Amino acid sequence: MPPKQKNELYKESARKKDVRTSNIEAAKAVADAVRTSLGPRGMDKMVASPNGEVIITNDGATILQKMTVTQPAAKMLVELSKSQDVVAGDGTTSVVVICGALLKKCQELLEKGVHPTIISDAFSKASAKACEVLESIAIPVNMEDREALIRAANTSLSSKVVSQYSSLLSPMAVDAVLKVMDPARPAMLDLRDIKVVSKVGGTIDDSEMVDGMVFDQKAAKSAGGPTRMEDAKIALIQFQISPPKTDIENNVIVSDYNQMDRVYKEERNYILSVVKKIKASGCNVLLIQKSILRDAVTDLALHYLAKAKIMVVRDIERDEIELISKTLGCLPIAHVDNMKPEKLGSAKLVEEVEVGKGRVVKITGIENKGRTATVLLRGSNKMVLEEADRSLHDALCVIRCLVNKRFLIAGGSSPEVQVSMQLAHWSKTLQGMESFCVRAFAEALEVVPYTLSENAGLNPINIVTELRRLHAAGEKYAGINVKKGTITNMLEENVVQPLLITTSAITLATECVRMILKIDDIVPTR
Amino acid sequence: MAVSCRRLANNRTYLASLAAHDICRLTRALQMSQQSGILQQGATEERGENARMASFVGAVAVADLVKSTLGPKGMDKILQSMGRGQEVTITNDGATILKSIYVDNPAAKVLVDISKVQDDEVGDGTTSVVVFAGELLREAELLVNQKVHPMTIIAGYREACDCARSVLESIAFNHQSDPALFRKDLLNIAKTTLSSKILTVDKEHFANLAVDAILRLKGNGSLEAIHVIKKTGGTLQESFLDEGFILDKKIGVGQPKRIEDARILVANTPMDTDKIKIYGARVRVDSMAKVADIEAAEKEKMREKVRKIIDHGINCFINRQLIYNLPEEMFADAGVMAIEHADFDGIERLALVLGGEIVSTFENPETVKLGSCKLIEEIMIGEDRLIHFSGVALGEACTIVLRGASSHILDEAERSLHDALCVLKETVADARVVYGGGWPEIRMAKAVEELASRTPGKKAMAMEAFARALRTLPATICDNAGLDSAEIVANLKAAHGADAESRMGVDVVRGEAGDMAELGIYESFRVRQQVLLSGTEASEIILRVDDIIKCAPRKRG
Repeated sequence: MPPKQKNELYKESARKKDVRTSNIEAAKAVADAVRTSLGPRGMDKMVASPNGEVIITNDGATILQKMTVTQPAAKMLVELSKSQDVVAGDGTTSVVVICGALLKKCQELLEKGVHPTIISDAFSKASAKACEVLESIAIPVNMEDREALIRAANTSLSSKVVSQYSSLLSPMAVDAVLKVMDPARPAMLDLRDIKVVSKVGGTIDDSEMVDGMVFDQKAAKSAGGPTRMEDAKIALIQFQISPPKTDIENNVIVSDYNQMDRVYKEERNYILSVVKKIKASGCNVLLIQKSILRDAVTDLALHYLAKAKIMVVRDIERDEIELISKTLGCLPIAHVDNMKPEKLGSAKLVEEVEVGKGRVVKITGIENKGRTATVLLRGSNKMVLEEADRSLHDALCVIRCLVNKRFLIAGGSSPEVQVSMQLAHWSKTLQGMESFCVRAFAEALEVVPYTLSENAGLNPINIVTELRRLHAAGEKYAGINVKKGTITNMLEENVVQPLLITTSAITLATECVRMILKIDDIVPTR
Repeated sequence: MAVSCRRLANNRTYLASLAAHDICRLTRALQMSQQSGILQQGATEERGENARMASFVGAVAVADLVKSTLGPKGMDKILQSMGRGQEVTITNDGATILKSIYVDNPAAKVLVDISKVQDDEVGDGTTSVVVFAGELLREAELLVNQKVHPMTIIAGYREACDCARSVLESIAFNHQSDPALFRKDLLNIAKTTLSSKILTVDKEHFANLAVDAILRLKGNGSLEAIHVIKKTGGTLQESFLDEGFILDKKIGVGQPKRIEDARILVANTPMDTDKIKIYGARVRVDSMAKVADIEAAEKEKMREKVRKIIDHGINCFINRQLIYNLPEEMFADAGVMAIEHADFDGIERLALVLGGEIVSTFENPETVKLGSCKLIEEIMIGEDRLIHFSGVALGEACTIVLRGASSHILDEAERSLHDALCVLKETVADARVVYGGGWPEIRMAKAVEELASRTPGKKAMAMEAFARALRTLPATICDNAGLDSAEIVANLKAAHGADAESRMGVDVVRGEAGDMAELGIYESFRVRQQVLLSGTEASEIILRVDDIIKCAPRKRG
């Protein structure tokens, strides 16, 4: 081939480098944006959405989701934190920060002329090795050990705005998960069985776990119906108590004044007969599913129901039906003729209580309660409440991680330092480029202690080097004690976290980095 | 090179711009044809050399676009949608890239087309075929510049192609008679296919997955029975093959969550309301009571329907459409599991897998073929609950559950796995296998060159060009891996020249020539053959062109 060809090839690869660099830059920018929110002394972000809504959060996944990014590689980081949310529920910031640090190292390696696929392969080996190291320092945990679980939840909550309430929220999260967990089939744990109702008013201190069920909806009392019912028989109905409506279009033809009266009367009779049937089944609390086709319940019907001393909660969403029927031990009833006593659920007390500004309906003392749990969250304003909700979700996920993989590791960035050290050690046994890349991987992991101490206002270089020294001396659990601003043994400080969070953060971040590395072109398409 | 094709990064059509003097010539020709006034206003015509030039440039540009994705160290591309949503796809699959780019050059469209055909026919080699065709055209262009007539080139290419094909056939080997060896072949093929994709690190795992899935089919060529479900979360390594069928749906409230020895009715029928579907149909009544009666009658109709369905003696009912509250409750009362909203694709596959038929009327329970399976239960994958059917009637069926860090990774993993499955399917049908890593190309090139040395006339030049084009495939693999392609290809050539039975090919990992049999780099014969034939055909079609007429664009607005 003539030399001209060679020239052309060179230009080509220059362009490819540009694409790769710009991808890495964009991804790094995203990582930098969430960096400062890592750790117990991490800062929160205020995200203002286009419609004027403001969110204040410390949760990496939420920040990234609300940040509308357009650059393709930046989008991948958003996706990355989302999947960490799915897998582990916590560590959504760490995963992005680790990914950013790895990318930074990649850039250095690329500048030295290492081929991207070599970096990619070496990183994948390094991440597998990292998981091995993590498993070797993990401590098995017993599900009966409530204290250990609470400690793990505490660590997760410590970085959130609600951290001073962790003594309240952590036991709540642990109890909720243990309640919905089926000991026979722990793999079937579904966090959707935990209902979280948040209400503005009061402080987070007033939050509680309800032994029973709470509905956000008020009891319908426009017609003066009861708002408190002891020894309740609860029916969950999916039919409507309103004038009949057919699927086929219908006209009622009224030819004179008398007939009009008759139509009114008939409507009353119809509703009355429905109410009577409900009453006949012994039901005294009625939960009515929302209906889009027609009024679920009319004012007239409410009036009759009030007369019959039946308490009514309306606007139940269809998605909630399954949870409700599971909790109350009742079956949904789709037709008034099927109102049978055996389909009803029973509870000691159903009561509308005032909570802050609003009201909620509480059901307590449920017989044959299913494996569900309800948490009533309170907060002084909407933003705090939303953040508390997110934090509680994170804590719940932490506990779920422990159910799935029953190992704990120390927190406070001690596992990262340990892994980094072990990998650096391991890299010496490897040859050539691979060793070089694994070494870079090990260095990149030090971003976690570095950022953690930086966010805590400590001297990062001092801390990181001190940590390295201690770990090299065999102190496997030495980590940053942010509160005291020193390095201590994390296990003694009770700072622990599930193994799954750190392993999945490392593997997911590596997978994402490898994908970004392999891209050499952005092609616009239809 | 006569034409330096620089791609402009911000060029929407993404096709090459021409060197300055070419543009001059083109415009001149354009003016001429417009002056003649034969064509409609706005239409353009390119003739003779210009036309050929335009097609060469277009085709070569497209080939260069996908060139960097070839081989185990090939790179990926981001496809950024310019439409709404700005969706992003990340892929290594030539067919997917070419399918989605804007192309405004007729010759380039031909290449996009052959890549599509390759995808439909054999499922893999979509990049190779385009790169090969591009190289043939690049060589042809040089020959045309040396005043060789295109027809002569075509004749030479044809003979070379025939020769190469017979070589390919002679070097292929077949292990179908020995199941253990055949399985090993399949594994190797799957690994080779996957090695250029995102799954490369876990290729061992996925190759096993794909081979297991294909062997379950027992030669029945329908990939329909292999269902792929993508769930974000976890890592690729956690993907698994399930021997049953998994449906991403929910079981109705209050119904059994676990059924053994299920008898299943698969249906497509409205379970909300059975209403008269005549527009404007309405009833007139004169009292509310009658409205209530009609409502009751409607409900009764629905009950009747549900009763008929239950009378089939089933304990599981799967419907494509919604199931409303009333029928749901009735099914719950009867202890029947009812699954609503199984989508269309899902329902057809379900019917196939469970061995039932899709029913929409329920008058004749005795003639309906029910589906069956050993066990239905709910399982948890990631955060979602899914329904798992095990012991299904169609023993071939299986489900592959893919896990991965993000939806991009999952989409790409699905495409890669699909490629592997397609190739394996082809190999099961035609068990001939060749080595990979550029081995067949080097062998073919050698034979073609020998043929050229025996052939008199200008045709021989075309044959030599053909051989050179064949060798660019291994060269590109080396280039993409950042290796010295000239050195390695020369080494390969020497190795094959010294030993006619040599098994040397490109060993990308170590960056040298290596024994393909030892490395286990195998490829399907069908894929290689298809690359050879369609690549040659496509270049032939483009070479024949000497006139491009573009019709005047339709006036809008």
